[in-house]
Amino acid sequence: MNDGIGASVVTSLLSVLALIVVCVTTMLIAFFGLRISRTTSDFYVASRTVRPWWNASAIGGEYLSAASFLGVAGLIVLSGQSGLWFPIGYTAGYLMLLLFVAAPMRRSQAYTIPDFAQIRFDTSPALRKLTTYLVVVICWLYIVPQMHGAALTLSIATGLPSWVGPVVVAAVVCVTVFSGGMRSVTFVQAFQYWFKLAALVIPTIFLLIRAIPEQASSERAALLYTQLESVNTMNLYETVSIILALLFGTLGLPHVLVRFYTNPTGQAARSTTVIVLCLLSAFYLLPTTLGVLGILYTPELGAINETDATILLLPARLFDGFLADVLTAIVVGGAFAAFLSTTSGLAVSLAGAISQEFFAGTVRGFRISTVLAIALPVLIAVLTSSLALAGAIGNVFAFTASTICPLLLLGIWWRSLTAKGAIAGLLVGSLTCGASLIAGIFLPATDQWWIHLLRQPAAWSVPLAFVVMIVVSHGTRRTVPGNVDRVMALLHVPDRDAKFSA
Amino acid sequence: MQAPDSPRDDSPQLPAGRFAQQRPQRVRVQAPQDASLSVTYQPPEHTAEEFYVRQLIRSQLRLACAVAAGLLILLVGICALLVFWPVLSTIRLVSIPLPWWVLGIGMYPLIIVAGMLFNRAAARNERRYRSISRD
Repeated sequence: MNDGIGASVVTSLLSVLALIVVCVTTMLIAFFGLRISRTTSDFYVASRTVRPWWNASAIGGEYLSAASFLGVAGLIVLSGQSGLWFPIGYTAGYLMLLLFVAAPMRRSQAYTIPDFAQIRFDTSPALRKLTTYLVVVICWLYIVPQMHGAALTLSIATGLPSWVGPVVVAAVVCVTVFSGGMRSVTFVQAFQYWFKLAALVIPTIFLLIRAIPEQASSERAALLYTQLESVNTMNLYETVSIILALLFGTLGLPHVLVRFYTNPTGQAARSTTVIVLCLLSAFYLLPTTLGVLGILYTPELGAINETDATILLLPARLFDGFLADVLTAIVVGGAFAAFLSTTSGLAVSLAGAISQEFFAGTVRGFRISTVLAIALPVLIAVLTSSLALAGAIGNVFAFTASTICPLLLLGIWWRSLTAKGAIAGLLVGSLTCGASLIAGIFLPATDQWWIHLLRQPAAWSVPLAFVVMIVVSHGTRRTVPGNVDRVMALLHVPDRDAKFSA
Repeated sequence: MQAPDSPRDDSPQLPAGRFAQQRPQRVRVQAPQDASLSVTYQPPEHTAEEFYVRQLIRSQLRLACAVAAGLLILLVGICALLVFWPVLSTIRLVSIPLPWWVLGIGMYPLIIVAGMLFNRAAARNERRYRSISRD
């Protein structure tokens, strides 16, 4: 499938050049950030002095992963109109984050989800341990698709062996995180949001200029309609389940939550989130447009399950020569910005969790943990082959929606939640959702209802986790922590300085 | 109230200008130890205060749930509408079926507006709390 583009030497050279530019710029910003990074809180959460616009760009940069950059267009080619629900879900998930989590999370004074669990239930080290393990699993599950994306992108654009991409990403992420921690990561990611946006805007404009006149004639227009409507879509249960997974899963993403601690106040955390909604909406118009173009110009990718390559292959389908090479190289650079930013955000959360748990939270421990955090997913990615990227990420969202999301929602809003209830809900949610996702991968994709239930578990596993947490909390209602009123006040009472920074 | 090497006590409240002039004191880099995670927020002294806090939480939760329910009903409703009323797909705008426009572009402004309205209402709840709790 590399024909048409893998053959071109110019494409390879330009792509490698774009890759080097992205990596070097990322590392330069990281080194520059090191000079300002001085204290522990600089290192972990950028001292909570990052301005809303910077922070919103950084959140956007971190959130827009391989699944958004390559996967959304791929899914639209693969499942047509149903694919459009993924970007909507990613964006609406952020709205849910704003509604339920943003401001209380900022006021909680916690750095990580395990920290939050400890603040809410300071008598239960078991809960803290369990959330730490869940965070580690979620981060790993999320990094693996990034690595698959890197492998795919580099091998398509340059023909290099598929292990090179993941290793490049891992190396750059380690250097970035080693050098400056969160402060430099904030700058790096803010830069990468705008870079990713540009890397899709430029090719999209060129492709539309070429495609619109081609599609303008009336018989082409009729064909366009049939092409768009001919792609197989998902059934109602699957779509609803995916919507639920994406809406509730965003709440529990560890690398997204850690970003809220860099806001100065709870109100600033909310303003930041609204800006993020705008940035995400602006971004998702592009992969959506490219997905539609993909249905028109690269429909055969759906048959061979290579739809994630849509955006990489489109420029060469519509243009010849140097322009195609340049546009492809720009897309490759943007794709690597996506892999780098998401992976470095995940690496910070993951290394933070591991080092707090096993290395008493020193900076040296943080660095050792970073290497550990990155090495395993690289290994997994090199040994396995990729599912559809956006689908794989959708599964991670289903998992966080069934585990971390009920813990946060009930922990923030329901004073009667007990540690035992939380542990029971986390165990039930993670085991049922995890088991059915694994079963869904190995069972053949037939059209039976129970296969659909297994492949898209969110619609039943999320309510199940909530119900278990609530029921067990009722049963153990004597063990509600004694300081619960003070913790609730801490989470919800507006910050004293809110009027200065709102 | 906390050890000097704990990161929690550097105050983000300082205005940016003053913050820039002070050179931060060098500290030994160390993550927060478990002890520093216990909540030190001063408890509300009066039961009236406690009551106001509960009122605030309840009004914020009601607001968030209302917006979230609206969003869920909208999304699932559109989803069901498209499945049970396929004639919608035969409507075309610039030769692209209507559902593609609604899902591809139309949802995002709604999400942004919902976020802005919620943000304003939540801040209003907090202002009301502050004005009655003699803060």
